[in-house]
Amino acid sequence: MNHATAANQCDIKVFCCPKSGNSVEEYEDAWAHRQTRTPAGLRVAVADGATESSFAKLWAVLLAESYVRTELAGAEFFARLQPARRLWRRRLAGRPLPWFASEKAGQGAFAAFLGLQIDAHTNRWTALAVGDCCLMQVDDVGTGMRVLTAFPLQESSQFTMSPYLIGSRSDGEPLHERIHISNGSLRDGDMLLLATDAVAAWLLKQHEAGRPLWKWLYRKLRTPESFAAMVAYGRTHGLRNDDFTLVRIIHHDSPVAAKER
Amino acid sequence: MAYQAEISRKNPGCFLFLVDQSESMEDPFAGGDNGKKKAEELATILNKLLHNLCIRCAKSDSIYDYFHVGVLGYSDESCKPALGGELSGRSLVPISELAGKPLRIEERTKQSDDGAGGVMDQTVKFPVWFDPYWKGGTPMCAALKDATKLVETWCQEHPNGFPPIVINITDGEATDGDLVAEARKLTAVSGEDGSVLLFNIHLSSTAGPSIELPGNASKLPDQHAKALFEASSPLTPFMVARATELGLPAGENSRGFIFNAQPLHVIHFLDIGTRPANVRLR
Repeated sequence: MNHATAANQCDIKVFCCPKSGNSVEEYEDAWAHRQTRTPAGLRVAVADGATESSFAKLWAVLLAESYVRTELAGAEFFARLQPARRLWRRRLAGRPLPWFASEKAGQGAFAAFLGLQIDAHTNRWTALAVGDCCLMQVDDVGTGMRVLTAFPLQESSQFTMSPYLIGSRSDGEPLHERIHISNGSLRDGDMLLLATDAVAAWLLKQHEAGRPLWKWLYRKLRTPESFAAMVAYGRTHGLRNDDFTLVRIIHHDSPVAAKER
Repeated sequence: MAYQAEISRKNPGCFLFLVDQSESMEDPFAGGDNGKKKAEELATILNKLLHNLCIRCAKSDSIYDYFHVGVLGYSDESCKPALGGELSGRSLVPISELAGKPLRIEERTKQSDDGAGGVMDQTVKFPVWFDPYWKGGTPMCAALKDATKLVETWCQEHPNGFPPIVINITDGEATDGDLVAEARKLTAVSGEDGSVLLFNIHLSSTAGPSIELPGNASKLPDQHAKALFEASSPLTPFMVARATELGLPAGENSRGFIFNAQPLHVIHFLDIGTRPANVRLR
């Protein structure tokens, strides 16, 4: 699966694939992006539906779509999820389910979430996260390139199999301690990567081991085939079997224009 | 490194429960305050474990066969498959089949999140696979021997899979031999990913504080508990980490042994993918 679109300021490419052994229909990550007018710029989201929850793909899609369709960039976004939660419940309502499926659905679906807003006038970004989807900002300086930001997790050892996630039935749950917000500025040529947990952890681990893939991601990752080659390499070099989603944005200092490449 | 195999539908895990159905299970259970017999407590624990395993594997409107599950009951000088109804006589069944064929499904009321910040009464299905039963002696060694044969076959058929986990629920009084010696034979069975793991859940008539995943036998109250501790496998590093995450007092030397406590966390010691930290375990 691959999708590419861009304002002439940002080159966005999305790469994704399901867990090995699963079908495309069983892929439970989601992503969305949208150019915005106020502020002029771009909103991007990735969400990772938890394996141990039901109807998690639907919830991940609703989270990602909700983010790119709103103007909220801070913690208040999570306080305005009632419509998405209602929609999730409505899609399940009246569906005949066996006892185990009904009980599991009663627990709700869960997903990790990362949203990114880029303001094209100020060349600044704001990111919002709950869980272990990660943003990495890398500049195009030096032979290996430099990691300027890894957010909300900075090291591969921080990833666990039980992160705190956003629930489709958790309106009353206090989320504030779990919400992470960060911001930064962009220079010409900077690369932003938004990744779900397994691929983010692996990229950080490769970086920590002195085998960074940033330059390859910047220059060579162009097609679904090249992404598949990276995944195949990763699977023999410590990449955990999971759904993978990687959104790559390369920023260019130039006026915003809604132009499809 | 051992105990790293991924559990998937293609490469499922195996839980084999051994349940004590001897006459001594009629005695009162000291770990509760409601005068339950040990056999009743055992049935409650087993039904909850099977229930939770099914819920773990439920995925949208279906259930994924991440695990195969068996129950062997031992009593009255013999050991035999203890699932009833349509599963009668079966030693190991895929979790989807287990979920679809309980003995009966009862309806109970529980309070739950209404999805809008409130609480509501909800009728839930409560499947029952296993009813209390007790008779005769405690042929635990025979059960361990039968379990050894079953897991040998499993390991031959799934050589690269995560090793089977055998969970023995008993009051600890074997009447047919040296349970520690039989346990050693069971846990000597291995595949590419490591040896079979044996956990023991001790339901005792001896009063005392519950003990979960101890690293040594010093605080165990009697020789039966100490023998069961001795027979129990050490937890893998992942299991220690998961147990700690779940709030259990696990350490580097912890063994899969629980004394007079509900062992419901045990089925979460195997990884089948991201588990939300904010889902409460029942």
